[in-house]
Amino acid sequence: MQGFLLGLSTGAVCLAYCAPTLVPYLLGEGKGIRQSGVILCQFLGGRLCGYLIFAVVAWALNQFVIIPNVDYESLLGLVYIVLAMALAFYGLRNNSAPCAGRSFNASVNRILGRWPALMAVSLGFFTGLNLCPAFLLALASACELNNLSQSLLFFFSFFLGTTLYFIPAPLLGAFKGLPTLRIIGKMAAVITAIYYLYTGIIMFVGGMNFL
Amino acid sequence: MSNGLMNRVLPAPAAFQPLKALLCTIPMLLLSAMMLSHGSFPTEPLQRIALGLTYIFCNGLFFLMLYTGKVHRYRSVFFITAAFAFIISFGANLLEVRGSMVLNEANIIDGDTPFCHLVIPMVIIPAALTKTIIFPGTLLNRFASIAGMVVLWLGASVALGRGWCSWVCFYGGLDEGFSRLCKKPVISDIDTKWTYLPWAVLLGIVLTSALTLSPTYCEWLCPFKTVTEFGAITSFKTLIQTVIFVTLFLALVVVLPIITGRRIQCGLFCPFAAFQSVTNKFNIFDIRIDREKCVDCNRCSKGCPTFSLDEASIREGKTLLSCTKCGKCVDICPRQAIRFHIKGTSVSASAESARLLFLYPAFIFATAVGGGMVYGAMVRVLKLVTTGSMF
Repeated sequence: MQGFLLGLSTGAVCLAYCAPTLVPYLLGEGKGIRQSGVILCQFLGGRLCGYLIFAVVAWALNQFVIIPNVDYESLLGLVYIVLAMALAFYGLRNNSAPCAGRSFNASVNRILGRWPALMAVSLGFFTGLNLCPAFLLALASACELNNLSQSLLFFFSFFLGTTLYFIPAPLLGAFKGLPTLRIIGKMAAVITAIYYLYTGIIMFVGGMNFL
Repeated sequence: MSNGLMNRVLPAPAAFQPLKALLCTIPMLLLSAMMLSHGSFPTEPLQRIALGLTYIFCNGLFFLMLYTGKVHRYRSVFFITAAFAFIISFGANLLEVRGSMVLNEANIIDGDTPFCHLVIPMVIIPAALTKTIIFPGTLLNRFASIAGMVVLWLGASVALGRGWCSWVCFYGGLDEGFSRLCKKPVISDIDTKWTYLPWAVLLGIVLTSALTLSPTYCEWLCPFKTVTEFGAITSFKTLIQTVIFVTLFLALVVVLPIITGRRIQCGLFCPFAAFQSVTNKFNIFDIRIDREKCVDCNRCSKGCPTFSLDEASIREGKTLLSCTKCGKCVDICPRQAIRFHIKGTSVSASAESARLLFLYPAFIFATAVGGGMVYGAMVRVLKLVTTGSMF
């Protein structure tokens, strides 16, 4: 219950953190409301996976008391970089112009053709690994729990609380009649990718200290 | 299209007789006197001279617009002058008040940052969610306060729609100025997909501003930081920001406008421009094409500085949503098929009245904003010439 309430009270912040990834993706796909709902579920599924990984981390932190010598900032920087690359790839992948990455493009397109949900799930997953302020609150609360199942349950209920804020997102599908929005969504995905890439590189090289 | 059709160019667009043009300029003479003087005549001789020159400059251009019927030609002179005057007067003001054009942390904490209209799209969502304006400016009283700029923008948006971008915006004149340097563009074929980029930038900055609760366009992408107010380079972050600002300024405001002959920053990048396009939906003025006169020569679409005309829109007899009502298409149409128009009236109705009715509010806002800048810059320049110092 505590996790759910925390999710409810901080969900708007979670939405603000996920929106730069989710909104361009939904617009870029250009699907109707129902299909956008399906995409949202895939995205949230990936995000839940990210949350549950943190549930395990929170439990482990509690168990081992001594925090292992892991450079979390670099790790998160790496997550940002991967997220940026996924977003940039999404924004540019259907570009038919000849380029050096064409064979890579084709092979990834084959994989995405087989598992179309993979892109939404992976974007959700890497977004779920972000340390937004709401998430830090949840992590701090979960660290006080003693067993793994409690920690998992806490994060799951936190996820449910925040998810309520995402319910209106499929309404973007109402604009599917505007084909230009697909182009705009993909361009915005590339712009957001540049932002995340910069943030990721700075975090990865530990540059935040001198920013 | 056959040469015969092209050769049947009609005479110059609807021009007024000198007396009629003069009579129609009288309201502007009165209004501009009020706006430029703020109700009191300056006491210093230099200020008097500057005020007089600005007054003649503004009203002379308005008269010429009416007399010759060439709206774009004289608007452009005003618009470019106002943009360069803005840089002179704004920079000089900053130097006088702060001693530097550099924005430091103390200025930010004091809320001493002048608010510009480009910030407006970024503050809306955070203001709605947190009841906070995510900009280090002041709401009232000081120079370029948030409330003052928002009220000005609201008024101009209602009156002009995206006409703001060709009549009021004090940055647009820079890339317009550079776009007019090269008579024959080196690059003329630009993929129309790029016209969606301002919307993508708008989406990106609105979402990231809501995420970071800071105006990300101002922090990372505004090319005009190069010539106005910029952050002191005290860290790796500010170094990167400065490199981005300068690169974008040189690319979007100087080089690309010169080689394309178009307003690249305004037409292909500015997120505020995309945001402002929406106001064209509820503004009563637009530009229409009389299909009976149009011979599909496409001069208008090739000449439009902000990519607001394409073959499809010409076939429909109207401009795209991004039209800034600069009047260039009206000026260059060899058949006078393009005209200022009031929504709800017939396209073949009097173009003269619609043009006049648009020009009054457009020039009032232009004089209120740009006229003040020209006056300010002129005072500084005259001081520099006569005393050797701008202050």
